Amino acid sequence: MKSYLNFFKLRIITNLQYRAAALAGISTQLFFGFVYIMVYLALYESNKGVTPPMNLSSIVTYLWLQQAFFALTFPYTKDQELLNMIKNGNLAYELIRPQNFYFKFYIKLIANRMVAAFLRSIPILLIGFLLPEPYKLSMPSNITSLIIFIIALLFACLLVTALSMIMHLLTMYFLDARGVSSAYNVIADLFMGGIVPLPFFPKFLQNIAYKLPFRYISDFPYRVYSGDITIIVGKNMLIGSFIWIIIIIVIGLIISKHALKKAVIQGG
Amino acid sequence: MVKLFIQSIKLSIKSQIEYKGSFILNGISQLFIFFTYYFMIVALFSKFNNIKGFTVYEVLLCFSIIQFGYSITETFFRGIDKFEDLIIDGSLDRFLVRPRGILFQTLCSDVDFIKIFRVIQSVIVLIISLINLDIVWNINKVIVLILCLISSILIFFGLFVLTSSYCFITLQGLEVKNVFTDGGKYMAQYPIGIYRKGIVFIFTFIIPYAFINYYPLLYFLDKTNNTLYMFSPLLVLIFLVPCLWSFKIGLKHYNSAGS
Repeated sequence: MKSYLNFFKLRIITNLQYRAAALAGISTQLFFGFVYIMVYLALYESNKGVTPPMNLSSIVTYLWLQQAFFALTFPYTKDQELLNMIKNGNLAYELIRPQNFYFKFYIKLIANRMVAAFLRSIPILLIGFLLPEPYKLSMPSNITSLIIFIIALLFACLLVTALSMIMHLLTMYFLDARGVSSAYNVIADLFMGGIVPLPFFPKFLQNIAYKLPFRYISDFPYRVYSGDITIIVGKNMLIGSFIWIIIIIVIGLIISKHALKKAVIQGG
Repeated sequence: MVKLFIQSIKLSIKSQIEYKGSFILNGISQLFIFFTYYFMIVALFSKFNNIKGFTVYEVLLCFSIIQFGYSITETFFRGIDKFEDLIIDGSLDRFLVRPRGILFQTLCSDVDFIKIFRVIQSVIVLIISLINLDIVWNINKVIVLILCLISSILIFFGLFVLTSSYCFITLQGLEVKNVFTDGGKYMAQYPIGIYRKGIVFIFTFIIPYAFINYYPLLYFLDKTNNTLYMFSPLLVLIFLVPCLWSFKIGLKHYNSAGS
């Protein structure tokens, strides 16, 4: 356990080097945040008679949280080191180390996400809180939903990383995995509410989305924060989220075992 | 020169469809990606019926013009999009000793043929929205539409050239450029008039997105009778001047990365 923890620390320190990239990320995210909000504002203003599926402050909050934690919940961030290792066979070295290969890289991917999100989220959240209405990022609806939000976000990170591990492992089976991973990216982004929040979906797609694990990545945490998902429902969803994490990790472990068994180490 | 360009495009395409399986798979994922762009607008309009007076098909018309220009640029002018790579790996030094323009050679260097799927889809969306809008066709409207499509290609070409002239100094791509290309593309999917004044100003007079789909479409959709709006796409040509000029300046100050 201790070796995993040290490895985690090491990755955090390495990742903190990339501050310039974070700055670029922040400005991009701020820009997109504003533009998204303006589109919704225009829609809400021109349709006064229609009852929207989410109220305006919930949607604005949703959009800011989405931008702030973009790096944490993005479905698939390619880890070149892991992919190279799989392609050039250096994976063999990993097999002789005492740590479990799957968990080692799982931790690495989590650390990458956490640092990227940490550097980007704080300035975006701060700016969001300071903005005037209607662009303002609202405070959480109450302290319980804040707590559920924090746990849900942590679970979201665990879940999305486990999913992304599976995508990395699948490259062992496909010669060119770009198509697979970008198709996954789109599907996950769609069903987690990354493109349009799930309440805006047509009914049948919404039903599908509610049955898939992806909604726990961003739909659930961001909506529970604003109170759009109630605390009672939120508590139950935390359990659902946890179950999905276990399922996805187990699938990942099985794939990694199977893939490594199949691997033939060439001499030289 | 055009012949040479077509020749190099052909070569790139040949090499890219060599791996048929992966080409098809990538193509399918391109279809998916484009679908989500389209889905976003359709989903929002299933709950609302207009955005500042624009209906869903009017927005989709706006959207398809922008997507058309962007995907054409992405497909055929990829070299300029990935310009930093040419500097970093030293390919640009090779270009300098050849008897052709640098920009021209850059354009010839790479084609991302897979993005042709997005071009096709944007044309489909364009046709769908044209069919569903009751348009009284006349020769002026045909001209406007063609001008829109051409200027849409030109603006993204200009932007890519502009951002790549940065690379001469920084020797690497700036992530911030995505705000102007990807971000601008996203913004201009909707009629620019729906945004707040500041944004409208920036994207009219600094980066003239509004001139390629918003103002001409106002004319096209009979929201104004002012024929001046019809020729607003031509203003993009003015925007191209500083873009090409900055590329030239950058090239003059270019020091090889030494690889």
